[in-house]
Amino acid sequence: MIFRQVVFYALLVGTLSGLVLTVAQVWQVVPIIHSAEVFEQQAAAVPAIESAGQLEAAHSHSADDDEWAPNKGFERTAFTLLSNVLTAIGFAVVVMVAMMASISLSHKENPGFKWQHGLVWGVAGYTIFWLAPAIGLPPEIPLAAAADLEARQIWWLFAVVSTAAGLAGLAYGKSPWRWAAPLLLIVPHLVGAPHAPGAMFAEQPPAAAAQLEQLAQQFIGATAIANLFFWLALGLAAAWSVRRIVASTRSEFKSGNTATPDYKLPSN
Amino acid sequence: MQNQISTATANRTATISTTIAKPLQLVGAFILGAVILYAAGFVNTSAVHNAAHDMRHSQGFPCH
Repeated sequence: MIFRQVVFYALLVGTLSGLVLTVAQVWQVVPIIHSAEVFEQQAAAVPAIESAGQLEAAHSHSADDDEWAPNKGFERTAFTLLSNVLTAIGFAVVVMVAMMASISLSHKENPGFKWQHGLVWGVAGYTIFWLAPAIGLPPEIPLAAAADLEARQIWWLFAVVSTAAGLAGLAYGKSPWRWAAPLLLIVPHLVGAPHAPGAMFAEQPPAAAAQLEQLAQQFIGATAIANLFFWLALGLAAAWSVRRIVASTRSEFKSGNTATPDYKLPSN
Repeated sequence: MQNQISTATANRTATISTTIAKPLQLVGAFILGAVILYAAGFVNTSAVHNAAHDMRHSQGFPCH
């Protein structure tokens, strides 16, 4: 049963790539978030600053809030690991479904899945789920001013779906319209991502704003690298899994033995 | 006897599982993946947001 196999392998792929992502994050991304939060706490601690109240309202995760939040240190890292693995499992399911579907869409008789395919799919996933949304909405550090959350989420989804459709059309389209598919890559950026008016750290004192600006730049570079590692790991592991799934379903069909439990791993 | 019953059960299970069309199974898996991603990246309930905070910032999901 394809469903069960895709989900089972996605758990493995997601756990593995989620671990890769966590290592890359803890090493170079999370320190930047923590640095930005130092400014956040300073801003919240000075009641004289008029914007402090607004900050409190806008950033529900600030320290003296009643809402639950993981404690700094081990607990917080553990929850980051957990959410990384969970997200990675979600991405792995979606990517592996696309890989399985691509086998039937492919023009070739026996497309096969080699590690090179894994890299291509990894780069495609990176482009769709990280790069395209990041062009319009670069990953932000805490304190950065941003437009309404819902508007940004809708644009994020729009960029992802449009980029995925564009790449899929280019790769698997058959008619001459295939060459129009890349236009879909540009559409979300022509529409434009929602942004807050004014400078990103306008509410901060100028000295802090300058430092935050620098942190924001570092953050984009750091997340770009961490996510590239993540997607290459995910692509390679997903290609390996799809190859095993295809091999196992083939041998089942060949033997004609429907009683063979389909969760049995192939012997090769 | 016991063996026969279990073989029969296995046969029936296998028949049932293979009658669900492959595209439908893939659609089902896709929905599962989308729901997982929505929960991890989009749900804005405070506790979920706080737990997934660093991941959302790093992965470029819109946050706050």
